[in-house]
Order: sequence, then structure tokens, then C-alpha cells
Amino acid sequence: MDYFDGKRILDRYHIKSAESRYVASKDEAAEFASGGAIVLKLISSKALHKSKAGLVKLGLKGNQIPRAYSELLIKGASLKPYKIIAQKMSEPGIEIILGGKTDEQFGKMILIGLGGIYVEAFRDFAIRSVPITKYDATAMIDQLRSRDVITHQGKNRKMIENLLMSMSALLQANESITEVDLNPIVVHEGSYEAVDIRILKT
Amino acid sequence: MAKMDLTPMLKPRSVAIIGASRDPGKVGHVILQNYLNAGYSGRIYAVNKNATEVMGIKCYESVLKIKDTIDLAVIAIPAKFVPETLEECGKARVKTTIVVSGGFAEIGNVDLQEQLKSIADKYNMPTLGPNCLGVMDPRSRIDTLFLPTYKLSRPQVGGVSFLCQSGAVGSTVLDLIAGEGFGLSKFISYGNAAQVDEVDLLNFLADDPDTKVIIMYIEGIKRGRAFIETARRVTRKKPVIVLKGGRTSAGQAAAHSHTAALAGSYEDHEAVFRQFGFTIAEDISDMLNYAKIFNSEPFPKGNRVGIITNGGGIGVLASDEIGMSGTLKLAEISDKSKTTLRRNLPPLVNIRNPLDLAGDAGSQRYEEALSVFNSDDSIDSILAICLFQTPGADSSVAAKLINFKEKSEKPLIVLSIGADYTRMHKIMMESSGLPVYDSPYAAVHSLSQLLKYAEYRKNAPN
Repeated sequence: MDYFDGKRILDRYHIKSAESRYVASKDEAAEFASGGAIVLKLISSKALHKSKAGLVKLGLKGNQIPRAYSELLIKGASLKPYKIIAQKMSEPGIEIILGGKTDEQFGKMILIGLGGIYVEAFRDFAIRSVPITKYDATAMIDQLRSRDVITHQGKNRKMIENLLMSMSALLQANESITEVDLNPIVVHEGSYEAVDIRILKT
Repeated sequence: MAKMDLTPMLKPRSVAIIGASRDPGKVGHVILQNYLNAGYSGRIYAVNKNATEVMGIKCYESVLKIKDTIDLAVIAIPAKFVPETLEECGKARVKTTIVVSGGFAEIGNVDLQEQLKSIADKYNMPTLGPNCLGVMDPRSRIDTLFLPTYKLSRPQVGGVSFLCQSGAVGSTVLDLIAGEGFGLSKFISYGNAAQVDEVDLLNFLADDPDTKVIIMYIEGIKRGRAFIETARRVTRKKPVIVLKGGRTSAGQAAAHSHTAALAGSYEDHEAVFRQFGFTIAEDISDMLNYAKIFNSEPFPKGNRVGIITNGGGIGVLASDEIGMSGTLKLAEISDKSKTTLRRNLPPLVNIRNPLDLAGDAGSQRYEEALSVFNSDDSIDSILAICLFQTPGADSSVAAKLINFKEKSEKPLIVLSIGADYTRMHKIMMESSGLPVYDSPYAAVHSLSQLLKYAEYRKNAPN
């Protein structure tokens, strides 16, 4: 599903994601940055792992922006059709993964875990079948070894429980959405934002 | 299909053994023999086209010739003859059937299995199997297992029911259960689950008054959403301990997102088990260890454990397990209890938890410690370590523990490690309903699972 269609669905369920837009030129990218730091990403159905393929340029400022844009154009030559997204750079925080999938037996499932580069290394995650209850949301967080890190020693617990409830509602209500992958969501004390969105529809 | 009544299958008043044979090497021979050995008190009929009599019992040519209502027909004939025989059972208004025979979907004969299912459905006749061991119920003394009793010991009557997809796991675990003190309510091996599946069986056992604890071995689940609804219902009534086979998934290789890569088929099963209050066993030994404590012990009110021991080191190991459990913790003995213990125990006993009664401790010291721990509100469950190698420990300590078990309202489990002399006392204690473990790990993990389930029962929404 298109990145911004995905973002709009998240908006509907009050799941926050980083401010982003498609850019078609270096100038548009620089204008979007308006002096701040941005991320540039090349999106193509031919490249599933963007960061592994060097298609994500982080923390770009000033004249780094046009340079990174040119590099993406070169990489994109073999990945057509593609689009380039500019996104406001998030403050550093704890990266989590929040997702959903469809199990052939049990139907929709929801997953939360330690995210970003730690997903594969630590495999610290909890899964439940959808819909979940408040009890399940609490139990999912308790199941994680990284629960204190993810919740900032409990201060973000309520926020993450609500995030789980929203994702459960999204998965439950949208039958055609078979898979959702928000990885990472950057969590700060009292706030968070999804910085990558992948949603699959039948 | 709506909820099935499996009572005629497990408490049949009349049974027909189809394929009863004079040849001791045939499955049908062993089944009939076992029925006779088990002392089944209902009416029993043998069906065999090619014989007039087997083991002194008259043989009928077909189930249709029997002028009696048949609650259960056990079918042990070659697969290709099964549909025709099942059809006859339907016409004869047999209430339930068990197809022991193999040779269906497990070797690719999917159509033959489908045929079996549609006949069973047509006559609304609950049919277990095919490719299964069938059922055993020591209360009604039915035993359709084709494994002779000298090879596989039969468990005594008890409160644990065992659902098993695989015949091999089924017979092995059943043999082990026979050596445990807790006893069996029902054993149901359901094989390929052409018609009756784990959802039907769990539903039945949820309402079965003789079943206190369910243990199950499964490889696959057929109706995921129905399973979820049933799981939710059954764990509100009684504990279910599950061991899942086939945990690695080839499907994970094909996954195309991080979420799908993490959540393979086993992870999803595990998630559902956890979400709906199942207790997950990692191994056969876990299943039995957990069954034992769930069967006899009340729910702990909290996570604080008091340890009584007659050997320091084993107390230390048990404390370590408690520390690592993530659920349990060592209790702080109350000041009042400390005063009583100081007054009544010899000065060499250091009054702390674990309470080390020393190697010369006999039944008197155990009694003192047990009664103080039992009335101390800061202790939720008691782990009594009794090492029978010590000078003071003998049958009188075991007797004291058994005696104490009757009055204790807190979970009380025993840890005794050793060979023959210890085993003898383990049997003594277990047959009186006191769970005895042979390692700190097994004891503490079992207690931890009991606490987790107690908390699920208390906190999980309906």
C-alpha cells in the first residue's frame, strides 16, 4: 500500500507517525527541511529492505540534502518505478516494533517488541490474537524482557497500552489489511512516532 | 457441528468390537482382550464376518445383527473396509464410533478420510480417529488401546485427562502417568481428527465433572477461531497444560515483513495458548510435573514461598530457582513466627527463610516448622525439602507431611532427591495426593506455573 495511504489509516486510529511527504526534486527536499534535519528514503517494490540496501539517508542537513538526493537517484536507476520520501528526523529514542499479521488458523495477530536493529538480534516480542483486551495489552508489555526500557521505567506504559489497543482496533476493523509493520516506532518519554510504515492489503 | 455429546463414547453401556479377532497378533484381538482384562461391566459384542466365536464370546457377522443399542463401536479393520462398516454402524443407530485403523490422510488417502467424515456427519454419529489409540477411562473401565497391559501399565483412577493427537506420545505418557500418584480421568487419542477434533474434546472435558486438569499434546489445530472460543471457556473452569509438537516452521522463510518473520506458526500458537490461559509445557516431563501440582494443590494467594529444609545446599538451589523464576519470591517470615520458631526449635536452627532444620531433623521439627509457616500470613505457599539420606529423615517425616497436607490451605509441595529409599517415600506421599519433585528446578517451575494460572483466573476478563 502507498506510504501515505498507510499514514492516513494510522491517522484515523490516532497512531502517530513522523511528518513526511513525497519529494520530486532536491529543492523540494530542502524546502521541506526548512533548516531542520530530515531523512530521505527511496521506496520501490523492488527493494524490501530499504536500510540494508542503502536507500535510507538519515540526519541530513543543509547541503547534505542535495548530495544524498543525487545518490538516491543513482541507486534508483535499477529500481524503477520508485518514489522518494522526505521525513522530519526524529529525536533519538527507544525503537520498538508494532505490527500485525494474519495467521492461517487464528486470523489476525498483533505483535509488539524491541524494534529497529534489535528485532532480529534479541527476538524480544509478544504476540496475541486480535482483538485484544486491556488485560492482554498489559500482559504483552509484561512479557517483554525490555519492558522497562520500552516504557521508560513505566512512565510510558499507559501510552503503549493505548497504542496496542489502537493497532488491535485497526487490524480488527480492516479485514483487507493482512499485514502491518511499523518498524521502528521511536518512543520518547511521553510521545512516540512511527518512522516507517508498511501495510499490506489483499 | 454443535457441541457433541461424547458420553456414550467414554461411558458406554454397550460396546461392539468390530474386527475382534482370534489371532493374537491382530489389533482387534488385543482390544477385546483388554476389555475383558479391564473388567468392563457393560455389554460387550464381538463383530467378525469370518468367525463365530472369539475368546468365548459369540461373534456377529455385522453390527446390524446385534439386537441391542450400541453406545460405542470400536472399528479395527483395514482402512478400505471402514466406510462400509461405518455406514452399517449408522444404519444400526450406533451412538458413537472409534476408528482405530490407520491408512487414511496420514499416508495420503485424503479421499477415504473425507468419506469417513461425511458418513459420520450424515448419521450425526461422533467418530474418533482414524489412526488413533482411542480412549481409556478407568472409571467406566473402557480401554480401546491395542497395546497389551504387560507392555503398557494402566493408570489408576484420578482427575487428570489426557488429550493426545499422536499415538506414540499418547502411549508413552500414559505409561508414565501409570507411575505417578495422581491418576487418570480420561485418555483420548484422536489421531487424524477427521470429525471429532480438539475443539469438541476440550468442550467435552470442560464440562466433565471427573476431569480436574487437562493435559494435551497437539501438532496442529484445525479450527483456529473455534479453538480460541473453547480455550477461553475451558480455562475459566479448569487448567489446561499443552505440549505442542512441530514448533519449527518452514513458513517463516517465506515471510516478507519483520512482523511475519518473528511471528511464525509456533509463535502464533504459543501466543494463543498464553492469551487464553493455557499452561505451556516445553517437554513431556513438564506436562507431568505441572499436572501433579494442578491436580492436588489450591491456588496460592500470592508469590511468597516459605522453604523448609533438612539440607542447606538444596535449600540454596531452590532459593536460586525462586530468584530466577520471575514470578515467585522468598517470603519474609513474620516476627511473630520467628519468635515461636525460636522458642520451639533447637538453637542450632537459624531462623530465616529457607529454614534449615539441620540433618538430624525428625518429624517433630518438621511439624513445628510446617504449622508456623501454615499460619503465617506472609507465606503463600510452602516448599518442604526432605532429603531422606539424612540421619533424622524417615517414614515418620513422610507421614507428618502427608498428615499436614490434609489441613493445609496453602499449596504444599515436597522436594526429595534420591534413589530407592527416597522413591519409596515419594510413592507414599504421592499416593496421598502430595506432589513430590526430584529437582529444585521441577519443583519451583511447577509452583510458578500454578501461580501464573491462579493469576490468570483472578485477573483475566471473561
